[in-house]
Amino acid sequence: MSIAKTLAIRGATLVGVLFAVLVMVVVTLGATGFSDRMLTAIVNEEVRGLRQGLAQTIRDADRLEAALRDHRQELEASYGLDRPWYSRLPQMIGRVIRLDLGEARTLKTAEGSSSITALLRERLPRTMMLVTTASFITACLGLFFGVKLATRVGSRSDRVASLFAATSNALPAWWAGILLILLTYVILSTFGVRVFPPGGMYSAPPPEGGLPRLLDLLWHAALPVITLTLISVGSWTYVVRTMVMNTAQEDFVTVARAKGLPESAVMRSHILRVAAPPILTGLILGLASSVGGAILTETVFNWPGMGRLYYDAILSVDESVVVALTFMFTLIYVTARFTLEVLYIVVDPRVRYS
Amino acid sequence: MRERLRATLSELLTSTTGKVGVAFLAVMVLISIYALTANPVDFGDRLWNNPAAWADNPKNVPPAWTGLFQSTRPVTHSVLEATEPTETRESTRFVERVYALDLDFPYDEAPTFTSFSLEDVTYQERPPSVSLEVARPDGRTVSLYRLAVPAPRAGESPPYSRYESTPFRVHLTGEPSVAGEAAAFLREEFGAGAQGGSLIGRVDEAVFGTPDAASESGFRPLQGEYRVLVTARFRDEADSIGRVRFVVGGSQFGLMGTDSLGRDLARGLVFGFPVALTIGLLTAIMATVIGTTLGIISGYTGGKTDIGIQRFSDVLSNIPLLPILLFLAFILGQKLWIVIAILILFGWPGMTIVIRSMVLQVRSGQLVEASAALGASRWRIMLRHIFPQMAPFVFAQMIFFTPAAILAEAGLSFLGLGDPSIPTWGQILDQGFRTGAVYVGYWWWVFPPGLLIVLTALTFVLIALGMERVVDPRLRTVRQ
Amino acid sequence: MSLLEVSDLTLHYATRGSPVRAVDGVSFRLERGQALGVVGESGSGKTSLSLALMRLLPSNATGYGGSVTLDGQDVMALSNDEFRRQVRWRKMSMVFQGAQSSLNPVLRVGRQVAEPLMLEDGARKAQARERTLRLFDLVRLPREVADRYPHELSGGMKQRVMIAMSLALDPALVVLDEPTSALDVSIQAQMMNLLKDLKSELGISFIFITHDIALASDICDRIAVVYAGQMVELGSADDALTQPSHPYTQRLLGSIPRLASSEPPQFIPGAPPDLSEPPAGCRFHPRCPLAFEPCDRAEPPVAAVRDGHEARCWLLTEERP
Repeated sequence: MSIAKTLAIRGATLVGVLFAVLVMVVVTLGATGFSDRMLTAIVNEEVRGLRQGLAQTIRDADRLEAALRDHRQELEASYGLDRPWYSRLPQMIGRVIRLDLGEARTLKTAEGSSSITALLRERLPRTMMLVTTASFITACLGLFFGVKLATRVGSRSDRVASLFAATSNALPAWWAGILLILLTYVILSTFGVRVFPPGGMYSAPPPEGGLPRLLDLLWHAALPVITLTLISVGSWTYVVRTMVMNTAQEDFVTVARAKGLPESAVMRSHILRVAAPPILTGLILGLASSVGGAILTETVFNWPGMGRLYYDAILSVDESVVVALTFMFTLIYVTARFTLEVLYIVVDPRVRYS
Repeated sequence: MRERLRATLSELLTSTTGKVGVAFLAVMVLISIYALTANPVDFGDRLWNNPAAWADNPKNVPPAWTGLFQSTRPVTHSVLEATEPTETRESTRFVERVYALDLDFPYDEAPTFTSFSLEDVTYQERPPSVSLEVARPDGRTVSLYRLAVPAPRAGESPPYSRYESTPFRVHLTGEPSVAGEAAAFLREEFGAGAQGGSLIGRVDEAVFGTPDAASESGFRPLQGEYRVLVTARFRDEADSIGRVRFVVGGSQFGLMGTDSLGRDLARGLVFGFPVALTIGLLTAIMATVIGTTLGIISGYTGGKTDIGIQRFSDVLSNIPLLPILLFLAFILGQKLWIVIAILILFGWPGMTIVIRSMVLQVRSGQLVEASAALGASRWRIMLRHIFPQMAPFVFAQMIFFTPAAILAEAGLSFLGLGDPSIPTWGQILDQGFRTGAVYVGYWWWVFPPGLLIVLTALTFVLIALGMERVVDPRLRTVRQ
Repeated sequence: MSLLEVSDLTLHYATRGSPVRAVDGVSFRLERGQALGVVGESGSGKTSLSLALMRLLPSNATGYGGSVTLDGQDVMALSNDEFRRQVRWRKMSMVFQGAQSSLNPVLRVGRQVAEPLMLEDGARKAQARERTLRLFDLVRLPREVADRYPHELSGGMKQRVMIAMSLALDPALVVLDEPTSALDVSIQAQMMNLLKDLKSELGISFIFITHDIALASDICDRIAVVYAGQMVELGSADDALTQPSHPYTQRLLGSIPRLASSEPPQFIPGAPPDLSEPPAGCRFHPRCPLAFEPCDRAEPPVAAVRDGHEARCWLLTEERP
């Protein structure tokens, strides 16, 4: 199979994923009557507003009611409420795919814009900042320790690390976050020192000037980043260790040693070079899934990113934001997967020709 | 196949991690059995989420054993109750029955609250009156409360029954009339100029202490033997009171402390065990059954069926779980079975993909080819020859999947999307987090539920680790 | 002076029980330009012998010792790092068993051949490339193969790449570990011809490790037969083949099916011993039809059968324990 065909099939699958998620979300909203209820609520609200306005000019009660009825019908038609929910489906999906995401009902950006695109543009970088920083630190630590452990498999430090990895598999990031917040409280109450703020992105009020502001941001980001790193570094180290260990047992590694290459060169150009693709897979998949996991971590740390936005959107029953964000989460995940496929082809010649 | 599974289990029990995991699991199952027998099935609706059930508990207090680490002696929560009078005085006009409750008070602080309740009062003609006094170790007696039981209503016929289903309860600490009585007591006995209003919320310091200007609160705790006297004055010999109760609110409670509603956290935590195990195991078993079945069919049948199943599971397994889970739980309603169903729906595809790739290896094996050559039917081959070869692996996958399900439900509950009728550890954490328990250091509220979530997930991770050698034969020989 | 002198070389592996004595007191010499065949059943310690020579010890190796003199240099005295810099690939290289797994799947084969050149000689990229291409010529591979990945090559091509790789630094000695056993018979013959040509053209010495005594005799000047970690017979290829002295060698030859002979091949009864608990006395005695009184209690000494031909058997010596 050629590369192009392989990529095309993967691409098609991932586009299928996007489409499936969209359809599922929209159908769930429609079939449960949720969408109808929400739109009706919006119409009612607008009609109520209208009644107050019209009551000033139209004195006759019957005429007023008639005018309002007309308006209501007009509104219902414009929202598509006069048609069954499934007839609104294609239009809704089409809009999301064109990234014409509409307006949020209550949620607003710091500047006061309620356009969902503006909301995303504001929130997405914050989430990415958190997640990529943590992933980068995790990757470096994991690579460092994983390679070290692989050379002493079965030793005490290896067993401790394996146990740590197993434990962190069972440790949800959000609870680890709560523990750290609790710990900063204990430190605060015993020593009177606030090591880290318990949440938020800036102090209130935020400090003036570029550098103090940046430092304040970093201070606030520290705890979430530590949490995310802490819970993933163990299993990540273990993955690297196992991959390196398995590769180190391959015959070509013995051959490389026989050739008189120094250990560093054996590790670099033979072991790591071959273990890289699966390690890379783990890293990117971890990154992709921690974007979804941000819903929990950002809630714990009150970090105003995309995950927090999703949570707020659900609490405030904002249909268009929920649909748009679900789509965005899937889009990010799918993009990561596809990047992975392409990268894999670059780093592993076997895939290119098989 | 039975031998294979048995071999798997014995291999599991030879590894340390496996042993620890199985031991943990056994303890959890025992606790679960206890939790289900000791609590009603509708524990959540009837008890946990019913504030009245927890009214007599102190709020937001740490576990009782924390007192061991304190230098001053904190108040132990005590509930004093009587159903029979200790003394009966009769006169021509009425019968007086006295219910005396003895209280040893060796503590270095006042109670966090006191409350008084009355249950099941019956009278024939005219309502009885009840008064509450406390006799202190210093010989003084303070009168706290007087209650006239409500008179008969129109259309009622004797005997009249009051406070039968819901007891009468008064929170003495916050009751203005009690504060007034306490202030009067202070004026008469100590000549102190306390105003009734200023004692609201601090009644207990006055009742269980003596004025002391040097102390910060203005009172010094008075240690010794107290006697709580409830005197009921009946008009008729046949009138009665079912039960009187006086609660001395402790500054600590139970094994795990209480939350802001006074709920005994230990009970909620215990009830979380069967729920967590059910969520984890049910989800894992169902996802494994579906995943394995489809995986075997896909791998063995091949062709269009294979492509169909593979594409479908590929799409499903690429969907980011948490946002979708959150969305569906929110829209479809917070019901535990819906959450489990969603977890199963997104759990099986991963299994199918792995199982299929294993089937492809097994399919070309001699045993399978020989059976096919002998004319065995497809279903028979799949069931009798392919499945048994993968049984240990499937079992390991199931164990491996369990913690994921438990953690997913916990995360969902933590975001407030848990099933309110069934308390889970995630929900307890959510309530703790939302009421700000983390920021004020109520560790007993947020630490134990999270720890239990981690321990439960860890149990299955350990068992899965113990089975790693079964699943990956390479590891069986590598260790030296 | 011989190119290689090995005496009393041992290599044991630690296990849960007693150590596995994979190489147990092996001694031999190899002259310049000659080839020594090391023949034995699988599990007899042949491959361990090659690893011991190259000092490629697994992590559980214990009891590594003896003396190895290569080109007049006592290489056992070298530190690991010195051994790596001075001996590996420069003086002694190796063609590993199974070319399939011996090549790194993600690197172009040319680069893998050039690797020791670039590293040790500090050669420029272009020079290394030129040398690599000449090596490809030498092993009769088209030059463009250098830019391919291992999975694009056939088994025979990969084996030629491995041979080219082993010649990169012009070593005096190449250890060939079962270089042809994974190949089709026709390719096997081509490979043997290539090796013979290299031997005569370049004057390289070979240690040719194989389970196939007939194949060994095709290229080797001398043949050593190993059994259970020990060398049981060592002599010229003709002698070993036509006048084997050790009962094991005799059985080994008797087990080869022959077209011209009416006798059916004879199999050696029993299985090779467990090297962690080898039998007392002569290690072959439980399977030896000629075993007699001293065989099960004392190890036989090395007896000179003829000039330059020795064997380890009580039948060949007058000595008694």
